[in-house]
Amino acid sequence: MPFTDIAVAIQISFTYFTMIYLTGIGGLFSERSGIVNIGLEGLMIIGTVTGAFGARFFTDDLGLGLVWGPLLGLLFGALCGALFAGVHAVATITFRVDHIVSGVVINLVAIGLARFLSQGFFNGQATQSDPGGPHLPELNVPGLSSLPGGLDRAFENLSPVVPIAALMVIPVWYSLNRTRWGLRLRSCGENPEATRSLGVSVPLYRYQGVLLSGAFAGASGAFIAAEIIGNWREGTTLGYGFIALAALILSNWNPVRLMFFAWLFGFSFAIPLRLDEAPVINLLPEQFIRMIPFVVTIVALSLIGKVRPPAAAGQAYEGGGGT
Amino acid sequence: MASGQMAAPPAALGRSRPAWLEGLFGQLLALLGSLGIALVFGSILIVLYGESPLEVYSSILDASLGSADGIGYVLAIATPLIFSALAVAVCFKGGMFNIGVEGQYLVAMVTAAWANLSLDFLPGPILVPVVLVAAMLGGMIWAAVPGILKVKRGAHEVVTTIMMNGIAISLVAWAINFPLHFDDAPEGAFVDLRTNNFPEHGLVGDIGHYFGVTPGAHLSWLLFLAIGAAILVWVLFRRMRLGYEARAMGSSPGSARAGGIAIGSTQLKLFLISGALAGLVGMQQILADRGHLPQNYVVALGFTGIAVAFLGQNNPIGIIFAAFLWGILSRGEVALQIQSEVPREFIIILQGILILSVVITYQIAKRRLAARQLQQAGAAGELEDSSAPEDDEGPRGPEDTGAGAFRPAGEDRI
Repeated sequence: MPFTDIAVAIQISFTYFTMIYLTGIGGLFSERSGIVNIGLEGLMIIGTVTGAFGARFFTDDLGLGLVWGPLLGLLFGALCGALFAGVHAVATITFRVDHIVSGVVINLVAIGLARFLSQGFFNGQATQSDPGGPHLPELNVPGLSSLPGGLDRAFENLSPVVPIAALMVIPVWYSLNRTRWGLRLRSCGENPEATRSLGVSVPLYRYQGVLLSGAFAGASGAFIAAEIIGNWREGTTLGYGFIALAALILSNWNPVRLMFFAWLFGFSFAIPLRLDEAPVINLLPEQFIRMIPFVVTIVALSLIGKVRPPAAAGQAYEGGGGT
Repeated sequence: MASGQMAAPPAALGRSRPAWLEGLFGQLLALLGSLGIALVFGSILIVLYGESPLEVYSSILDASLGSADGIGYVLAIATPLIFSALAVAVCFKGGMFNIGVEGQYLVAMVTAAWANLSLDFLPGPILVPVVLVAAMLGGMIWAAVPGILKVKRGAHEVVTTIMMNGIAISLVAWAINFPLHFDDAPEGAFVDLRTNNFPEHGLVGDIGHYFGVTPGAHLSWLLFLAIGAAILVWVLFRRMRLGYEARAMGSSPGSARAGGIAIGSTQLKLFLISGALAGLVGMQQILADRGHLPQNYVVALGFTGIAVAFLGQNNPIGIIFAAFLWGILSRGEVALQIQSEVPREFIIILQGILILSVVITYQIAKRRLAARQLQQAGAAGELEDSSAPEDDEGPRGPEDTGAGAFRPAGEDRI
């Protein structure tokens, strides 16, 4: 099998990596603060519909050009994701609803809300024949895109969001591990009682964690809709939010290891798209090849030994009142 | 002493009602409250669209409850949702989340279609039950995988069941493309992918005509099966050992284990029961509505089931009513499409607000109830009222008190 196919598969895997990693970072902030967030998928869905709208609105209607327009579109998706995550925050932190129940509700409501918003935004979902919306100019990674033997294809025509997502690991790691804010956020997830005794408002930090998770998941959804598909269509998140959750568990809630697992799952999504002719895989019917990413996720989750989630994640915190 | 005397009257009042009735009362109040909140928010939206809330709501009611046909449609919509919500509730009572009802019913539709097509020589009264069993087995197989992985490997069921859903979608596509691909298609004509039509005697009969409901509603006796299943689930959790163990596990896994309950096998059994119920979700559409397994089958019944289960507060009888309410709202979409400027997506928003406020108001109601019971217990202790009747049927599950109804204390968290 030619190298180009592998290179293109790697290029595709970078795209999937970006959405899984961005969403995973979102989950990381939320769970490190002690709030389990299985609503990531729903937050991504909100990001897709608002991001696709934002990209068009800022580029075409406000005429901001092909860099600022799509960029503001992404940020708009992030903002709306954060707003919607506010529902999860209010439910779990203020009203102490079970985190998983609230997350499930977030996912359910997001599907309907997205459909409703799309009516107002673009009169329903786009069809295959609709022209794509504006997106950021594509990028060749300097240096790597001149590799020989067809491998250069892996680093050509990437959305600029891909390297941004990869570089995100630095500020995320630094803010969590080297700042006072990160220490406090993490301690809210490990031992809220002790954190409170130091005069830190646990709900305040948890709100920040959940809103951040909405922002990252929303940006990830906006990336899918505006940068990859170019339009809003229903069902484009395809469970990536849950895959991100699985990657988060496998990474043991660590932003650096999360990169690896996000890429691994991303690559498993590239297999059915590009490597379906590879040896062994080509013996399977097309429909079975499409199962590969999900099977990989289940197998990885089953093989991993004991993980250690943030100690207080998922538990309602009684002290500290409303804010 | 003064505080004890002050607390005594409400305590005595509370004692006159059994705990489960108290819980039910609280649930009903919370449900009505949330319905009110949803309707108020909905009214605001309707006014923004420049229409009268009263007219829109009455047209929804008219389309759903205004005629025998309307009620027939509502009941037909509710039928699969009852199965689906029961499947969710069975796991939930044991402190687990089966988000995989979706995938389980897809696989069950394939096994049921296969049984129906390959065993068509059987007479109807045998074939249909066999097909239903095949569906339940299909759902159980698909539910067994996350169940076993949870018990043996500690893989969280929320993620694994979602992945199983993804696999199931491809499995259905494969089944109708290859082993079950229809062969009675006219040559060269463009036809949708589907299985062969099931034999006439392999379908469930229409019961609508007994009640003057149009055959178009496809009201079938699966509705009675769904209600029967709800009663069975109620019996399971109220009168059987497994149900007691599940409730103990759901309210406190630590004490359940200390009490000698085999957590793993109980969890697995619950998952299998849940899968069997999930298997029946798709039967309404393939055995009553369509008569074959089409490519464009109705999706998301599993996810809607979660919403209905929450709405019915995971109580089997509550679920029947919740599914009916959901059916009324869904049927209302038709009314909106025909006679209103308000888009049909409005109904989805209404359902979303309803679910959100139900979850939150139940939580508030639960807290108030728990606080009151604490107060009562304190008062009772102070008065040393040993003659007070101890309540009722064994240990208190979460739904006895309303406490913990939305908080299964699962041991491993994401």
